[in-house]
Amino acid sequence: MRILLAEDDSLLGDGLRAGLRQLGFLVDWVRDGEAAERELRAQPYTAAVLDLGLPRKGGLEVLAAIRAARITTPVLVLTARDTVPDRILGLDMGADDYVVKPVDLHELAARLRALVRRAHGQPQECLTAQDVVLDPASRTVRKADVAIALSNREFALLQAFMLSAGRVLSREQLEQQLYSWGQEVDSNAIEVHIHNLRRKLGNTLIHTVRGVGYTLMRDAPAP
Amino acid sequence: MIRAPHSLQRRLLMLVLGVVTTVWLATAALTWLDVRHELDELLDGHLAQAAAILVVQQGKEMDGDHDSVDAPSLHRYAPRVAFQVFHEGLLVMRSTNAPQAAMAGDDSDFRSGFETVQLDGVAWRVFSTYGAERDVHVYVGEEADSRSHILWAVLRSTLLPMAIALPLLALALWWAIHRSVAPMRRLGTTLAQRKPSALTPLAMDGAPSEIAPMVNALNSLFERIGSLLESERRFTADASHELRTPIAAIQAQAQVALAETDDALRRHALRNTLEGCERAIRLVDQLLTLSRLEASAMPAMQTLDLAALVRRVIADLAPKAISKGQLLEFDCPAPCQVQGNETLLAVLVRNLVDNAVRYSPTQARVAISLLQGNDAKQILQVEDSGAGLPDSDLKRLGERFFRVTGTDENGSGLGWSIVRRIAIVHHMQLHVGRSDKLGGLAVTVAI
Repeated sequence: MRILLAEDDSLLGDGLRAGLRQLGFLVDWVRDGEAAERELRAQPYTAAVLDLGLPRKGGLEVLAAIRAARITTPVLVLTARDTVPDRILGLDMGADDYVVKPVDLHELAARLRALVRRAHGQPQECLTAQDVVLDPASRTVRKADVAIALSNREFALLQAFMLSAGRVLSREQLEQQLYSWGQEVDSNAIEVHIHNLRRKLGNTLIHTVRGVGYTLMRDAPAP
Repeated sequence: MIRAPHSLQRRLLMLVLGVVTTVWLATAALTWLDVRHELDELLDGHLAQAAAILVVQQGKEMDGDHDSVDAPSLHRYAPRVAFQVFHEGLLVMRSTNAPQAAMAGDDSDFRSGFETVQLDGVAWRVFSTYGAERDVHVYVGEEADSRSHILWAVLRSTLLPMAIALPLLALALWWAIHRSVAPMRRLGTTLAQRKPSALTPLAMDGAPSEIAPMVNALNSLFERIGSLLESERRFTADASHELRTPIAAIQAQAQVALAETDDALRRHALRNTLEGCERAIRLVDQLLTLSRLEASAMPAMQTLDLAALVRRVIADLAPKAISKGQLLEFDCPAPCQVQGNETLLAVLVRNLVDNAVRYSPTQARVAISLLQGNDAKQILQVEDSGAGLPDSDLKRLGERFFRVTGTDENGSGLGWSIVRRIAIVHHMQLHVGRSDKLGGLAVTVAI
């Protein structure tokens, strides 16, 4: 899951980025409101963590601008403003969650996962397709109740597929979900990861749509 | 001891009634004296005239027999008036109510004039006189009592209307004063019924001109309290933000360090945790300094050498400047004696120099000077060759927690509030502008 983190405080931003990475998120960090809005408009982030007191453009303004532009990326507002009117205003402006600093990293991660889940219309924490179950919290994958070991990239790729089960994803879309800024993308990396996933989870899960991309089928195709 | 509050209404009523009663009594006393004097003169005149008539009358009838004659009583007042006429010691004529003996004195030492005598226990005013040959003695008397009767009648007609008017006056006064102080009572009730947090202005409708200034003063007081509360509320909100962010950073970094398996990354997170702690400590220190400054009215002042103080502060901050490759210089031709609080002035100078070092880029120049100004003032100036500040930011400097955006430094935004506060306490003028010499920010303190 690729997250945009907008936080102007260097120590807190650094800590959140490192912590969310440890918990399996890909994190892009911007330090001002204008950059946050630019990145949210440019990339399909899974979710965004937005501070309200951002320089150049306030968090609420960013929120209003992206919602006006019909960008539906789930946004978690992380702020020190703790009064009830502030919370109400934040949620009414289009925030999906409102968290007051300081926050436990694990709680922040859980809230982000919940946001993403809700955004994809999934009530359960675990993602399921055929006999494969992916648990984002414990970062484990089981096939027919047998634990399968996946690399970080494989896990992220499978998660992206499962969140958009039944939809065809292009290679560019998958790359955007898989790599944060400054990470080298091999030209055939996606193919390699998909090959590995098929090897570990079977051939019925991920299908190639030639010339378009790949899709994950929630139910096994009829034999 | 707390005295019970006196009633304005009661006071006014007492005062007016007291003055009216006093004037009234004085009038009565003066009338009494005046009327008695005039009455005495008038009635004495009548007695004297009656005696004169009797003397003349007696002279004409001298040759007649000497039988005494009782004159008839002709008027209801007549019993109160009496006369006697003696000829050569013999009573020749008298009124029926007059005694046989002479009413005043006796023949041996006869004196002409007025005299008050007791006859049968009743006081009489008697006028005695004699004829031309001194053989006729005439006494005319009148009961002294009748005079006081007249006097009382005169006084009664003066005093009675007043006695009736006084309670009426009191009643009218009470009503008038009661109505006049009604707006004050209403104001008191309104104030008593207000919620403690209500700071809306009081309505002015119908307030008389005496109350209007009070209502105005109260309203402006409410306004000032309101803005004070608002700034306190904003301060609390800002302080919560400023305190929460470093704590959130410490928490995040500590959690990262705990979970990190890579040694270099864990050390990085731990270093950041410590840095976050230092920042929180500095912030708390500054908050405490500020709150102490605002709580204490006047710190202890002493004469001190500002040049030496500035030198000490610069020596403390020099390593930081050197590590940023900055050139730090101090220009001070002479010692500079000023009145001030050493601790506070050190905080002020440290904040100014620290800001210049902190917000100027590497290789910048920071110049501090302490010179004699042209109007006998000492001028402390801190200049740098940094980017300076746009006018919009210059205006907002000193707002608590205002931080210039776009810098990587973790300032608290409290330093300027502290500097400004210390300058106010020391009656120093603070000016922030662009440095002519270095092109960056120039802060001038006129002492």
